[in-house]
Parts: sequence; structure tokens; C-alpha cells
Amino acid sequence: MLQQIIALIIILFFILRLISEKRKKKINRNEFNLWFAFWLLSAAAVIFIKQIDRLVAFFGFSGSGINFLIYLAVLGLFYLIFRLRLTVAKLDQNLTEVARQVTLKNK
Amino acid sequence: MKIICVIPAWNEAKNIAKVVSGVRPYVDETVVVDDCSGDETAALASAAGAIVLRHPINRGQGAALQTGNDYALDHGAEIIIHFDADDQFLAREIRDMIKPIEEGRADIVFGSRFLGKSANFPFTKKYLIYPLAHLFTRLFLGVKLSDPQNGFRALNRRAAEIIRIANREMAHNSEIQIKAFQNKLRIAEVPITVVYHEFGQKLSGGFKVAKDLLINKIIK
Repeated sequence: MLQQIIALIIILFFILRLISEKRKKKINRNEFNLWFAFWLLSAAAVIFIKQIDRLVAFFGFSGSGINFLIYLAVLGLFYLIFRLRLTVAKLDQNLTEVARQVTLKNK
Repeated sequence: MKIICVIPAWNEAKNIAKVVSGVRPYVDETVVVDDCSGDETAALASAAGAIVLRHPINRGQGAALQTGNDYALDHGAEIIIHFDADDQFLAREIRDMIKPIEEGRADIVFGSRFLGKSANFPFTKKYLIYPLAHLFTRLFLGVKLSDPQNGFRALNRRAAEIIRIANREMAHNSEIQIKAFQNKLRIAEVPITVVYHEFGQKLSGGFKVAKDLLINKIIK
């Protein structure tokens, strides 16, 4: 119970940070929606951890619900890294195009 | 036909003057794209009679080639030659390379080290890297050429307009071949001579090429 409360306080802290960043227009609406949904789901997972335990057992997994959530988190991180990699590659391509235009313009 | 030779160069002060002087008699203009070298490449190329374009930051050989292509197309090139700055190719073979285009038989001509002319291949390149690259490009990329990695090529104007190089590093080589096949360009191969001075690309470089091709495919 105490662990759940601590986890919820931490999630609340991140949600408040998120709202503050949105108000300062540091992030756009889509990004805000994505992270807001993520933290809401995390809070739901913390609140309903017992039910997740039962669900995980029902599907035949031997670990507890919290383990399952960690697996999901790792998968999520892999996906985010993949997305970041693509974004960096796209930026790199744009940088090349800018360098090219500068080169040709200076000739 | 107006022929422009594009030579991408990065820290090639040792060879660039010789390469430019060698190429100039066979083409109308020689363009050296200096990829932000830290040495005297740009000055030496200019002194040897080349038009020098200089990238403000290092972007890689593929990026330099596309910069050269853009310049050449803007300046009325009808044939564009891609030629390496490291003095591995023989300038006199430019004549053989442009012949299929001049005769209207090809849109793009690839030089090949595997069609009879001599090349002093390093052992691992000959027996490991090239067979693997050959297999990869044939099976996964649909490229049926005798030489999977060769920087000596000639393009007519149409081919240069169609093939826009997106891979800024070494994967441009495979990319150009793939796009030539995908766009159903008329392709010819011409035997060329290669004189190796340094080992060049390693096996790890081959994996990087495959990875770059994949990423560029996804972000397209």
C-alpha cells in the first residue's frame, strides 16, 4: 500500500511537470497527449496492480504483475529508442540538405 | 556532349592535384566537392584547375556526390562522371565509361573490377568482403551487377535527375545501383582497373552500409 502511494506521488509529480511544460509551450499538444496518456496508464497500473497480478496468472505467466509491467516498460523503451533513432536520421538528412544548399549558394 | 566529372574529396591533399590533372583532359569540367577537409585539399584542387565546392561541415561521400550532381545538372552537364579522389582509378578509362552513353546504349554505366581488367585486391576483400556484398545486393536488393561496390560510374542527365542520393555515407554506392534497377534505367558495365593504395572499407563497413540502407528506407 505504501509503495503504491509513493508510486502515485511520483506519477503525480511527472503529470504536474507535464502540465507546466505544456503551459510554457515547451511541448506541443500531440506530445502532451502521448505522455499524459502514458502517465495515466501508469497510475492505473499501480492502482490495479492486484488485478494485473490475477490477469497475468490467468494468461499463464509465472511472474507477478509488477514483473509484467517492467517487461512492458522495457518494450516501450525499445520502441522509443527506435523512434528517436529515426528522428535523428531524419534530422541528419535535413542537415545534409542545408549544408548542400549553403555550398551551392556560396559558389 | 558536356561532360562534368564530380570528385568527392576529404583530406586528399596527397592525391587530389594528380587526380584532377589526370581527369581534366577527358572532361569539360572537373568539380571537386571538398567535404570540409582539414588539409589543403580545396586549395590544391583549385590550383590544379578544378571547380571547388566546399561543404561547411563534413557530410560524407554520398552527400558530396549529390552536391556535385546538383551543381553539374545546374551547369548543363549531359554526362556526369563519378570519380574517386584517392588515385585508385585510371582517368583514361573515362573514355570507356562514357562510350555506352554517347552511343545511346545506356543511361548509367558502372565500372567493374570483375570483368577482366587487373586489380590488386587485398586478400580479405577478394575472398570475404566482396562475395558477401555481392550475395547481399543480389539476394536482398535485387542488384544484378558484377561489382557491388565501385565508385567509378557515369550517368547521363536523365539518370542523374532520377537518382537522388539520400545515403550520405558509404551506402550511396548500393543505393545508386538499387535506384538504377528500380527505375528501369538502361545499365551497362565496363571493365576498369583499380590500383589499391590502402585497404579501404572493412567488413564492419559492410554492415554499416546495410544498416544505413535500412534506416533510409524507413525514414523516406
